[in-house]
Amino acid sequence: MNEDVFAWSLVLIMLLTNTLLSIYGITYRRSLTKKLIGLTILSDTANLAFILIGFRFVQPAVPPVLTELSLESLEYLRQHAVDPLPQALVLTGIVISMAVNALIAFGIIQAYRITGSTDAKVVVKHFSEEVRGE
Amino acid sequence: MSRRFAVLFLILALTIASALALSYADFARPAKGLKPIGLFYVENSYFGNLTAKSPEAVTAIVWDYRGLDTIYESAVFFLAIIGGLSIFRLESPQLMAKEAKGLTKISKTGSKIIALLIISVSASIALHGHLTPGGGFQGGSTLAVAPLLLIPVFSITRLVSAGITSKRLVIARSAAMTCVGLTALLPVIKGLELASNLSFYPAEIGGELISGSLFFYNLFEYLAVGSGFTAVFLYLSTFEETYRREIEKEVGT
Repeated sequence: MNEDVFAWSLVLIMLLTNTLLSIYGITYRRSLTKKLIGLTILSDTANLAFILIGFRFVQPAVPPVLTELSLESLEYLRQHAVDPLPQALVLTGIVISMAVNALIAFGIIQAYRITGSTDAKVVVKHFSEEVRGE
Repeated sequence: MSRRFAVLFLILALTIASALALSYADFARPAKGLKPIGLFYVENSYFGNLTAKSPEAVTAIVWDYRGLDTIYESAVFFLAIIGGLSIFRLESPQLMAKEAKGLTKISKTGSKIIALLIISVSASIALHGHLTPGGGFQGGSTLAVAPLLLIPVFSITRLVSAGITSKRLVIARSAAMTCVGLTALLPVIKGLELASNLSFYPAEIGGELISGSLFFYNLFEYLAVGSGFTAVFLYLSTFEETYRREIEKEVGT
């Protein structure tokens, strides 16, 4: 069996497993903190999937950075560099997911201060009662 | 507990078995070549006709080829941080009567040295972003680690009395973000397209390669991200009773 193909398949299946576990965390766990942890795992998995799209199986695979400003170095990059586009997109994705996670974390902490719980049902019940004026 | 381990072990075993099945079925084939768009960026980032004069292809894409994406992404990031801070909405976050004690003198001296090193490394990551892997966001995130280290060692009260207040940090962040916007907007004055790079900015200053606007974007993003995260850490480290008091004032319970 080809080791490269096995390693590749293993990473693909790991990604799938991670995705399923994080979706389980987001949907089934009642604690908002655990939902947030599930969300971070999901976004990291998506980012890893993007990076994998740009990866290439050559020996050695190098980052798309010119180490010398020469045409020989450019030719080496043509043969060995990984795709830079998914890395740039993932950088954007990481920034946005980090910002959104920070916003959600702030919301969860504030909800905990007001309701005394991070349980999604308790928080929703508290706020819906407040909206109805009970 | 043992049941949880059994489930996790089963998941791991299933994962490896599926990977074996997938590789024997010859379904997943890793790529060996570069996609045409990726090849275009690798070839053009420094050499080529559509160059950004950056040896680092990722930074060239982030701030030049797809610069507008990144500017709007920075806006999303900015709004999310401001949104987070407004959820906590303290009128005066630094209202603290507690005395600053902090840790021992050994920890304080050690942390000062480490914080200085962190700041130097973060500046290097950000300012060399157009030459080596790194950039404004990565450098800024590293910069924010320094106050994160100093808060538990010196106590937040000491930091606030030294002038590192969240209000100032938010102002610094807004100013840096404005500079990012201005860097994108300046070429328009000369009649060029928004976020133009080498047609407006010089590739070198004094013989040093700055890759046009890439250096300025990295610098301002570095300051924006560093101050934004520091403000978040300050808000998260503020004494809990301060928030409780504020909520009691609003809710009246």
